[in-house]
Amino acid sequence: MPETSTTPKRVPMRGAHLRLTEGEEPALEGCRCPQCGDVFYPPRSICLNCYHEGLDSIALSRRGTLYTFTIARMSLPGALVTAPYVIAQVKLPEGVIIPTVLTGIDPESVQIGLELELVVEKASVNAEGAEVMTFKFRPA
Amino acid sequence: MANRVVILGVGLHPFGRHPDKSIGDMARVAALAALKDAGVPYKDVQAGFCAHVNQGVAAGLRTFGQVGMTGIPITNVELACASSSRAAMLAADAISTGIYDLAMVIGVEKMDRGLLSGVGGREGGYNESMGINLMPALYAMWAQRHMHLHGTKREHFARVSEKSHRNGALNPNAQYQKALNLEDILNSRMIADPITLYECSPTTDGASAVVLASEKRAQQHTAHPVFLDTWVGGTPQYVRGEPELSEGPNAVLARKAYDKAGLGPRDVDVAQVHDAFSPGEVFLAEELGFCPVGEGGPFVWEGNTEITGRIPINTDGGLLSRGHPIGATGGAMITELTLQLRGLAGPRQVEGARTALMHNAGIGGVNVIVLKR
Repeated sequence: MPETSTTPKRVPMRGAHLRLTEGEEPALEGCRCPQCGDVFYPPRSICLNCYHEGLDSIALSRRGTLYTFTIARMSLPGALVTAPYVIAQVKLPEGVIIPTVLTGIDPESVQIGLELELVVEKASVNAEGAEVMTFKFRPA
Repeated sequence: MANRVVILGVGLHPFGRHPDKSIGDMARVAALAALKDAGVPYKDVQAGFCAHVNQGVAAGLRTFGQVGMTGIPITNVELACASSSRAAMLAADAISTGIYDLAMVIGVEKMDRGLLSGVGGREGGYNESMGINLMPALYAMWAQRHMHLHGTKREHFARVSEKSHRNGALNPNAQYQKALNLEDILNSRMIADPITLYECSPTTDGASAVVLASEKRAQQHTAHPVFLDTWVGGTPQYVRGEPELSEGPNAVLARKAYDKAGLGPRDVDVAQVHDAFSPGEVFLAEELGFCPVGEGGPFVWEGNTEITGRIPINTDGGLLSRGHPIGATGGAMITELTLQLRGLAGPRQVEGARTALMHNAGIGGVNVIVLKR
């Protein structure tokens, strides 16, 4: 008899550096240099500031502000989003910039400086039956 | 002391749509034009550098091979949209250090229709699935930030394209040889706010060729050499908490080039800058030191970058109108500036031009070159 589960396994989409720990709020995963304290997104192995190898994985703040944006008026082949949509760079309190898209807002009313929060969505289901998760930001 | 490097010959295959031509066909036309311009036979060329991005394995052999088979070393060079300026710099490095007296650069590209793309290569994943890999969106986001910080208007950016198209109409090698007015540009289809369709460089088929020589070799052929005087290249440098707001370390490299050439922005008579999208010229007017930071919009709006302006920029129509066959673009920039410094740019001529600055950028890789008469 097939096993049933109420909470299917969730995995991040490749390139979406999400921390999806059960029982915790999802967060973007960055890394911090234990030597100089600089923080990076996406995660990397070698510190760009002091060249220390082996950085600590950290959960980044779920809230940030809109650093800059544009309204894309054409859809890209193979993309999950369709025009018009807002491509954004979100600055988190750690100082890192996250390239992403916005949701839950009229594109025409978007302004730099907007307070935003992370939102995680199911993008697809993979061959193993796990939910492939992606992220966007929405007005906080 | 290093040998000075002379731009002895330049040539282009007209930029445009050439679905019936191979890269070899286009390269041959550009190369023969450059050799004729230089007044040297192909058999004297000691090394070949072929710049291209997406033309496959051994494009260098398929292009230089159309001109001859003299047994010279041929190197393929790729730096995205800055490939052929980097190829020219590699040739210049070799000539200035005495390795060769005469080298040729061929830049060539055949491109698919549609918008410039491929920021992230073909890696797929989040950026591709979420529609973030839209090349004009990158320039659009820098433009939005510029508007937010400095009050720049979308009309300022559109003015760049208006000027480029006016210049392109004077250039028989340009992809677009038709002037557009500001309303045409502002009312064309919005692609990524504030950038409209007519503010995006097209995809293009075309080829460029440049023959470089040592000063000594050049003396046999010309009494009025144009020098590739100074060249500096680089890629982004990490600065804590400072996100990039344009395509690469433009200001840093411009300062380096000015120092090395012993001049400043005020000494530049004519310039070529990387206007893949119209805001590019506004950012670069500032980064290359032609106007103070934040004032690029009004600077362009007031006509300072027109052929008759204080610092004429992209007199041949730039990427926006001349076209942007990515592997050939740097060579086309060198071609236009060489013609300008020889006084042979016809209706596009900048009166009395003696010093030129060139900026070519490719996804973070940047080349800044000073040309002198």
